[in-house]
Amino acid sequence: MKVLIEPKPQNMVNTFLLIFVVHSMQLGVGIQGFQRIIYLEAKHDAWISVILSGVASAIVGFVMVKTLAAYACSDLYGIQYDVFGKWLGNLMNILYVLYSLGGFHVIVRNYIEVIQAWVFPELPNWLLSFTLVFLVFYGLNGGLRTIVGVSFFSVILSLWLILLLAYPFQFTNWDYLFPILESSVTEILKGAKQMTFTIIGFEIIFVIYPFLKEKDRVHKHMQYGLLFTTILYLGLMVVSLAYFSGGQLERTIWGTLSLFKIVRFPFIERFEYVAITFWVLLILPNLMFYLWSASRGIARIVGKKEKKINWLLLAFLYLSLLYPLNRMEINMMNDYFAKGAFYIVFCYPFLLFAAVLIKKKFFRKKGGANVENSN
Amino acid sequence: MFFKKKKADSLNSMNQENIEEREMIPADTEDFINEMKKRLHNSADLNIKDRPNGITLIFLDSLIDNKMLHGDILACLHDGKVSPDQILKDINVSNVAKYPFIVEAVDTMLKGAVLIHTSGHPCIVSASIGTQEHRSLTRPENESQVLGPQIAFNESLATNISLIRRYLTNPNVCNESFSLGKQTNSGVSILYMKGIADEEMVDRLRERIKNIKVDSVLDSSTLVQLIEDNSYAIFPQMLMTERPDRACSWLLNGKMIVLVDGSVQVIGCPQTFIEFFQSMEDESVRWQIATFLRLMRIFSMIVSIFFTAIYVAALTFHYEIIPQTLLVPLGESRSRVPFPPIIEALLLEAMIELLREAGARLPTKVGQTMGIVGGIVVGTAAVEAGFTSNILIIIIAVSALASFTTPNYMMGNVIRVLRFPLIILAGLWGFYGLMIGFCFLLIHLIRQTSLGTPFLAPFYPPRFADWRDSIIRLPIGFTNLRPLQARPKDRFKYRIRKSNKKE
Repeated sequence: MKVLIEPKPQNMVNTFLLIFVVHSMQLGVGIQGFQRIIYLEAKHDAWISVILSGVASAIVGFVMVKTLAAYACSDLYGIQYDVFGKWLGNLMNILYVLYSLGGFHVIVRNYIEVIQAWVFPELPNWLLSFTLVFLVFYGLNGGLRTIVGVSFFSVILSLWLILLLAYPFQFTNWDYLFPILESSVTEILKGAKQMTFTIIGFEIIFVIYPFLKEKDRVHKHMQYGLLFTTILYLGLMVVSLAYFSGGQLERTIWGTLSLFKIVRFPFIERFEYVAITFWVLLILPNLMFYLWSASRGIARIVGKKEKKINWLLLAFLYLSLLYPLNRMEINMMNDYFAKGAFYIVFCYPFLLFAAVLIKKKFFRKKGGANVENSN
Repeated sequence: MFFKKKKADSLNSMNQENIEEREMIPADTEDFINEMKKRLHNSADLNIKDRPNGITLIFLDSLIDNKMLHGDILACLHDGKVSPDQILKDINVSNVAKYPFIVEAVDTMLKGAVLIHTSGHPCIVSASIGTQEHRSLTRPENESQVLGPQIAFNESLATNISLIRRYLTNPNVCNESFSLGKQTNSGVSILYMKGIADEEMVDRLRERIKNIKVDSVLDSSTLVQLIEDNSYAIFPQMLMTERPDRACSWLLNGKMIVLVDGSVQVIGCPQTFIEFFQSMEDESVRWQIATFLRLMRIFSMIVSIFFTAIYVAALTFHYEIIPQTLLVPLGESRSRVPFPPIIEALLLEAMIELLREAGARLPTKVGQTMGIVGGIVVGTAAVEAGFTSNILIIIIAVSALASFTTPNYMMGNVIRVLRFPLIILAGLWGFYGLMIGFCFLLIHLIRQTSLGTPFLAPFYPPRFADWRDSIIRLPIGFTNLRPLQARPKDRFKYRIRKSNKKE
């Protein structure tokens, strides 16, 4: 496997679009009900946890970009291969591929559950997952530019949903937020850790980095994307905390969707039906990018074309989605995935960064020329 | 991928044919006449005129101008021994040439030339004296507008090019001509502005046109399907217009246009999706009004695609989202209808399509009666008989109306047909199905390209400078940049500072 890759110019995308990629990757099924999970840990100081998790994501984002910038043009797969060697490196690569596939699976599961709980209780799993898998397949066949385009439009076309927060805003009771800092620091930190499932997604930078045009602007745009997400989550959390009472929030599984319930136009009521179905557009970039990074990983390890692997992976994922799971099992799966994601997204990058630094420092003179940044 | 192979194959076969057909013109008069007769299968209008001094004239009666034949050719041919070169000098026609090959001779004759053969010389002189059969220039019928020039292209390639040359008195207007179609040999021209148009893009278009191996090109609307990027796509990726001013504005923006002999519409490329919703009139009216109209067109496109489908989805699955005040009239009008909403909607949509299709093919006078019978009589009767609800009639009428606001006929057709799959999706899976349909369309649009450039520009990839003239139009001072879509070599139409001084 080659450590460095040279993507064709027609596959490259503007670095500016990274904002949308990062934001749309973070926004997914987690946001539909993150309020309760954080509230259970940090109580009404949950918003501080959101800020902390945002800060953590910014730091990790910085480390990720620094790691990638140590190489001229490489992705996670190449770096791991270079740093850990053939066997361990490829093992890590396979782990990351599995993590991406897991992300895909978890998102589809959660979304199907929401659809079945709110809109169509009778609609079978196989149909819902088939439509999603079909859309993902169609998008992936268009190449990276299409996927980035989907994530761009998914952000732009759903911006108006933010405005709808004005409806619950009218009924907020700000007393719910006080007194501030009643929860202990450990509780708040635990709450921040619970944000993992909601805030992850920005690790896509590990795979998309070689395809960005202006490498020197990557970090800036990455941070913009992360900042936008953090602000959005913070706003949503604050409104939720002030709108729901504590007891209500503990019992509300999908807080964000419940917020939409009171949205009312002269011609439309019960807005959550529209919002939930509209969510397809919000999870599409997640699904596409997770599958894309998985198939890229396999393509890099095996050395085959991505398109063939897309087929296989989607077929495999589709079959795995047919296996019936109940609410408890899905919850358990979410927890396991979040735990794994916490280590992969929030801890592992530091380790990798250290390894890259050590490798750079001690092996520079021994002719590891291909790992050096050109400048 | 297999398309590329096909194209390569066809190229090879074309070369082989060319080599076989390169037959010299016989020097002997008798042989030449026989050969020509054989080639044209003794056509009745093949006129062969022998002159005493070994000169033979061959032409097709039906194609040439008799006055010119007598005045400019026959009168100039001297008696006595003459060589082809002498004839070439003598003839008073501007378009004269000498050809050694039979194929070329037949070609020019079929385009209205008279062939002059001199005994003993293995070549012919051909002089174009063809009649130009074309109707006079008329007002644009399909893209009529109140302001702006009131002239449309007609079926003659020469007239169309001359119209463009009148607008653009500029030596940089390049014209490359090809002949396409194994049977028809239609003339096709690519026009572009040197110094503005991107050479690479012109190459790409030229290659595409050259690589076409078809039987016939009767109209630009068939040619466009052969040269566009993805002929399987739902949306057309190249625009056609019948307005010379619009064609010129494309040229000035660095785009290429393709003209086909015998067709009124010219093809412009590369184009963006948003340009299908723009009209030339947007440039003529005030910018506020232009912006309003453009936004309205986009809105009406969305309405006409999704309105009926939303009705079906809401009434089949999501009664809850309809407010109580609206639910009462809806329920009242639907209480007598025996069908589920999807059948009701499809029935009525099909009826509207029938009306439209019937009206399109009929003479105008009958067409009006058609509209009255269809719209008023059948519509009212359908409601009274309890076949459909009043509200659905309103919804369908509005979405039909909205589909007519699309300035482009091709796009209008796409929009009106797109409704059916979406109605079916909405009837099957409610809003979820509708959203799946929407996402599919979105991905589909993102995937399309027009001559290799992104179809959804300037929105994706985002080019904010080009948004000034997209679904909005800013005052003319702001639209001084050519859109990046065609990768113009010269980005500036004009410099604002120089042109804005009004004193």
